[in-house]
Amino acid sequence: MRAALALPILALPAKSGAAAVGEVGFAMLGYKERGLMKVSEPLIWGRAEFAEVWEVRGSALVDIITGASPQLVTNQSGRPVQSLTGASVRERRYAGDLKVTRRFGDYAFSVSRALSDEHDYHSRAFGLEGRADFNHKNTTAIVGYGKSNDRINSHDDATLNKQRVTEEYLVGVTQVLTPTSLVQTTLNWARGDGWFNDPYKLTFTFFPTGFPAIVPDRRPDHRDTFAWLTRYRAHFPGAHGTLQADYRYYHDDWGITAHTLEVAWQHELNERWSVRPALRYYTQSAADFYSPVVPTRPPPPILSSDQRLSAFGGLSPSLRVARRFANGILVEGTAGYVHNASSLRLGGSGNPAFETLRAVYGIAAITYPF
Amino acid sequence: MALHRFAFRAMAAQNEVQIHAHDARLARESAARAIDEVARIEAKFSRYRPASAVSRINAAAGGAPVAIDAETRQLLAFAGECFRQSDGAFDATSGVLRRAWRFDEGHVPSDAELAPLLRLVGWERVELGEDNVRLPLAGMELDFGGFGKEYAVDRAALVLAQAGIESALVNLAGDLAILGPQPGGEPWRLGIRHPRKAEHVVATLAVASGAVATSGDYERFIEREGVRHCHILDPRTGRSARGIRSATVHAPSCVVAGTATTVAMLKGARHGLAWLENLGLKHLCVLEDDTIVDRFA
Amino acid sequence: MRDAVIKLACCALALGIAACANVAPYQRGYLARDDMSLDGNPGTAKALEKTYAAKEAASGGATVGGGGCGCN
Repeated sequence: MRAALALPILALPAKSGAAAVGEVGFAMLGYKERGLMKVSEPLIWGRAEFAEVWEVRGSALVDIITGASPQLVTNQSGRPVQSLTGASVRERRYAGDLKVTRRFGDYAFSVSRALSDEHDYHSRAFGLEGRADFNHKNTTAIVGYGKSNDRINSHDDATLNKQRVTEEYLVGVTQVLTPTSLVQTTLNWARGDGWFNDPYKLTFTFFPTGFPAIVPDRRPDHRDTFAWLTRYRAHFPGAHGTLQADYRYYHDDWGITAHTLEVAWQHELNERWSVRPALRYYTQSAADFYSPVVPTRPPPPILSSDQRLSAFGGLSPSLRVARRFANGILVEGTAGYVHNASSLRLGGSGNPAFETLRAVYGIAAITYPF
Repeated sequence: MALHRFAFRAMAAQNEVQIHAHDARLARESAARAIDEVARIEAKFSRYRPASAVSRINAAAGGAPVAIDAETRQLLAFAGECFRQSDGAFDATSGVLRRAWRFDEGHVPSDAELAPLLRLVGWERVELGEDNVRLPLAGMELDFGGFGKEYAVDRAALVLAQAGIESALVNLAGDLAILGPQPGGEPWRLGIRHPRKAEHVVATLAVASGAVATSGDYERFIEREGVRHCHILDPRTGRSARGIRSATVHAPSCVVAGTATTVAMLKGARHGLAWLENLGLKHLCVLEDDTIVDRFA
Repeated sequence: MRDAVIKLACCALALGIAACANVAPYQRGYLARDDMSLDGNPGTAKALEKTYAAKEAASGGATVGGGGCGCN
């Protein structure tokens, strides 16, 4: 009853049984792109509290990628199109991360480590994070620093062994607005130096006269990025649901500006079942050096036809259904559809060479508290 | 961490505060403050004390509005919302009916005795302003009995929480609030007494947090010709609740749990259980035929 | 344009710290709900992490130290 919340008393979460000191979960992701790639990803994760002031969380996963990824953009047909060159591949990526947090009253300090290994890409990263609560926990400030060391190889070229170092900084604040709503806004800067090229991508361009040009993917050796993420949550007891809205503004010195907006409504059907329809919209501008064809002869020193750097937009609806069991076990199923196309870019003017992406994904997850 | 227990008398009953704390002095001081808070609420909202806020409001019935403070206003607003959410079953003006029902003497009133009192019952008539309240008919009464004890439980729990206590249980004669699990994450174990056999426990609940309240037809009753008339009276008819022998509800606060048990008893077995399910509150009820409906998991 | 956006973001941060409504501890019941959390279920969130990021240029959010991947 809502009026009870106006009384100067506590609202104690009504928990029966023993209190959870942690949880462990399993999830499985299946992702399929029309005609192209398929990804299966089993993952395990866990979180546990010790001695009231320590918290440890971690996860491990395997990405199993089958199928093929476009490697070549060629204008042989008159228009630039993505094309597959080699046979389909079967790749595995192993990843794991661990984060340890220690609470000191209103402050908390965390250290984290993340690893990712695949045949041609190895990443090692660490992060430091500090949090402080103010105003009876109505306001929480966070600061963070992270550094990532990546090593890039190629299964087409055994001599390729390149490095990239990325440092990132984060500052943010979470603010409780009303007893039923809160907002978080964070600023995230990253600075990367080293090898950014994609070792497999080529641009193959025919000219009206003379020889065609085959240019490998060449990107700058530096990238500065900025992301501003704002997340809003508001619960509406009368409507039995919560509104979740996230917006991210992104800009980097490669000339890309992107906006991401996701809006979801988590609806409580009853004590056990909930559904969450969501819609995500994404739009980005092209990198300065993006071109689906080699524009000049001789070719420019920096050029990429990777359509992940082109101008396009994407719409992704998804639906999540969750069932909570009496002993606290939570089972969740999510289904989503990803549609990226040049026509979906905000304001039109997406790159016509962008090949529409259509993919579906499904995630099944189960969480056991203990 | 040791368990510290503090027994005390208030609201005409034996009560208890249990606190898990490392610091015995902190446990004693915070328990003392919680007990003081219960005494404060009893004094402020008791019908039996002429100087209490409730007595002043009742004395002015049929007259001018009486000024009230924020706490009283919030409680009356809460009582109003309970009235609406229970379709009129929960009515804080139904206290006048006790003038006809004299449980100590075993008197079951006739319709003629109830009729004039029923004319004084009806929350919709209460005029609740921003900082005042008025009972329009002389003889009307506000009775906080349906939620006053539960509010005291919640306030006592708040006092303990503000003192830094994280694991405690406040028990006012069967209406409880639990601040957090016992050390090691273990829940508190609560026994629900059998509505007919006082020494027996009909179920044991494991509660880690939240408030639990119980209403039963065994607290004050009259049995005549095989029919039990209990102290939970329907404000619309003046007669006793029927169908449920005892109702226990687990909710985020004791005021919600306590009013929910009262409303469930008044709505009877079918509608009462459906109403509790609709609110999403965990409950355990013992019905008239002794069957147990356990929706506690 | 970009500088203006950064300035706006910093203002939003400062405004947040300047505090809006002051919600007392006893009013925080709803805020503790699972669907009010910013990260959601860790398993599902982790599984989704690279799904969109592998097809887009934008990155970054509310955490640091996440590391990279080939993401082809």
